[in-house]
Amino acid sequence: MARIQLLLVAVVVILLACLPLVIEKDSTLNLLVLILLFIIMASSWNILGGFTGQTSLGHAAFFGLGSLATRLLWIQGFPLLPSLLAGGGLAVVFALVIGIPAFKLKGVYFAIGTLALGQILFVTVGNLFPTISALPVEALRTYQLAPRYYLFLVLTILTVGFAYLLANSRVGLGMMAVREDEDAAEALGVNARRHKLLALVFSAFLAGMAGSAFAYYHVSYYYQFPFAPIWSFDTLTMVYIGGQGTIIGPIVGAIFFVLLREFLVLNVGEYHLIVFGVLFILVVLFLPGGFVEAWEKIRNLLVRRRSKRDRNASTTA
Amino acid sequence: MLKLENINAYYGDLQALWGISLDVNEGELVALVGPNGAGKTTTLKVIAGLLAPAAGLVEFRGQDLLKKSVHQIVSLGISQVPEGGRIFPGMTVLENLELGAFVPEARKAKDQTLQSVYKSYPILEERSDQLAGTLSGGERQMLAIGRALMSKPRLLVLDEPSFGLAPILVDQMFVMITEINKQGVTVLLVEQNVRAALEVAHRSYVIENGEIVGEGTGVDLLSFESIRSAYLG
Amino acid sequence: MTEAFVQIIIFGILIGALYGLAALGLSMVFGVTKILNIAHGELIMLGGYASFWLFRLVGLDPFISLPLTMLIMAVVGLVLYKLLFVRTVKLPEEEKIKNTMLIGFGLTLILQNIALILWTADDRGITTAYSGQVFTVLNIRFPIVRVAGFAVALICLLSLHLFLRKTYTGKAIRATVEDWEAAALMGINIQQVYMLSFVLGAALAGVAGALVSVTFSIDPSMGMHWTLKALIVMVLGGLGSIAGTFAGGILLGATESATAFLIGGNYREVIGLLLFLLVLIFRPQGLLGAKER
Repeated sequence: MARIQLLLVAVVVILLACLPLVIEKDSTLNLLVLILLFIIMASSWNILGGFTGQTSLGHAAFFGLGSLATRLLWIQGFPLLPSLLAGGGLAVVFALVIGIPAFKLKGVYFAIGTLALGQILFVTVGNLFPTISALPVEALRTYQLAPRYYLFLVLTILTVGFAYLLANSRVGLGMMAVREDEDAAEALGVNARRHKLLALVFSAFLAGMAGSAFAYYHVSYYYQFPFAPIWSFDTLTMVYIGGQGTIIGPIVGAIFFVLLREFLVLNVGEYHLIVFGVLFILVVLFLPGGFVEAWEKIRNLLVRRRSKRDRNASTTA
Repeated sequence: MLKLENINAYYGDLQALWGISLDVNEGELVALVGPNGAGKTTTLKVIAGLLAPAAGLVEFRGQDLLKKSVHQIVSLGISQVPEGGRIFPGMTVLENLELGAFVPEARKAKDQTLQSVYKSYPILEERSDQLAGTLSGGERQMLAIGRALMSKPRLLVLDEPSFGLAPILVDQMFVMITEINKQGVTVLLVEQNVRAALEVAHRSYVIENGEIVGEGTGVDLLSFESIRSAYLG
Repeated sequence: MTEAFVQIIIFGILIGALYGLAALGLSMVFGVTKILNIAHGELIMLGGYASFWLFRLVGLDPFISLPLTMLIMAVVGLVLYKLLFVRTVKLPEEEKIKNTMLIGFGLTLILQNIALILWTADDRGITTAYSGQVFTVLNIRFPIVRVAGFAVALICLLSLHLFLRKTYTGKAIRATVEDWEAAALMGINIQQVYMLSFVLGAALAGVAGALVSVTFSIDPSMGMHWTLKALIVMVLGGLGSIAGTFAGGILLGATESATAFLIGGNYREVIGLLLFLLVLIFRPQGLLGAKER
């Protein structure tokens, strides 16, 4: 990473860390929490879907499992940190259990298989835990937003940092080779199944941790709610809009998605999803690399125009 | 009748054809021979409209084929038997033949053409209700050719019709092709079986590495030094 | 106990025919064009509303208005195809399936929310004079509407079968499925075959929607539920087999009912999905389908 970029990242992190000291309104902080949550979701999905090319429609399952484990343990009086880790842990266990059979499915079959899997968990959890989970009175009395915010911030930094390191590692390169052409990757000595499984485990752990943080953050919700397919779909949408397979894409996508949704909800109410639907289709059809690709195209165009102008200048001179 | 001029064609970034030019006159039987991967099938794909060349000209009876889509080219009177026959294995022999007469003009004369195809290849009539996938290799190739004839083609294009056939069937195949040609159908024949192809063809082209390297009558080419050493041993 | 069980299974079979019909369009479109239309459930939803409004506003009986519903949905299908899916035709197969799935996913958001704006989130259903009527054979009850739905599904199935077997266009569609390149060399306009199949699939979704609106109820968010049902049935029945799709539907309907009876109604959804996953993983050619060549 260039030094200037590193500096930029540091500034952003410090700014984000100082925000709760400045911001008075809870609603603003809640919005930030939502953005951070979705950056974790999008970046973690991206490891499996973007880096490794395994489009999952069941990401909510990991998020849900993380929230479920953490919520159950923490409300029962378990210390916070082990409860949080248990969330990520449960997601990993689940990933390992389903990983081997799930990767017998290729391409679109993997996608609809994970969709079904997510749906199974959604329905089953709704059956087993049909109630609302509310924080106990004691916890409510002492509830503070700032620690939740910092938890999400730390997780976000860890997730993005991990994704960055992964993308530049041997393992990450192996994953991308699998994405481009599984057979060719195998021929080059990349164990495709192991790389896919690894991507699934990383992806599941991080999404599970997002769920854990959600369980710590949210005051009351149905146990089933974090398993709802909409979590998978929203995540998918933001990664595509931002630019799959890149580090910055999911971040940009998440910020854009949450802010635009907030704006649209205020202005056009529930119908914001139509806008997202249209946007999503446009990206799939015309801009498969999302915003990141658009940005690169524009930059290339500018560079080319400039070099053309330079060339013209030199020929006329 | 058919004219290709300076065709360049690519698969992705890979150039497969380098300035191919050839023509086929009405009533002729022309062979295009060359080794595996020389660009024979690619040339046929360009003629069929399945692959758009990067440069060049393809004309058939004065019409620019590059402006036509695959099905329009068929209705102009070019019928192709792709490599391996590519019959529809899950459909009956009769259905395969009916599909051969899909273009409107051929469909009008379907029953008549069917009778003449059955007359030439009685085995197809015997097997008409059988699934095409159950036919033997030789029968399949016969069906593929019969199917192509169902469109009442002006030009019949055959891609490796002898490939994979038992030696005795190969001879029959070349007899069949000559027969078709004698009945007035112009034929463009692509073959790896160089000697047999050169013997039946009026004129032949030799293609290598995507370029035409030789042209002449069959007999001429048989004495062509590089052909002798390369294919006839 | 046994009698109740038989009754439950009969209900399951009657519903299963509807599942089969819901899957028929999806399966045919996927089989011919390799477009995986995840928004198929939304097409069923639109078909349901078309039938509902024809009943409510014009007073047309949902069974009488079926041809009209099909026509409306065929037009919807045509517009969607021309606007969106046609752009994916040239892609390599793998990418095409994936991209069309994603387009379908975007479509679900759009169609669902348009329906929400136009018709609110209320559950709607068609109640006719004969809606509550039941006839009884050997102590087993047969609700008239469901039996009629079963018959309609069967008629659709047979018509499609005959269309594909007997007509030139149908044969062209089958040839395209077997080998599109060879089909093109026969002079078949592949683009047209794709479009026709998609439109036909949408029309079939319309029939399914009409039947849903008269047997159950419809609402803007029902699509996902029906897409999943259709996907499950498609996988159970094996691709490209009409009879298999129908049998898959019946199997799913009966299994769901049996599960509801033996384990509990809460799990009727889960069993189908589990079955789906197992078949997908261990028998991708479908439970009832033949092994691919």
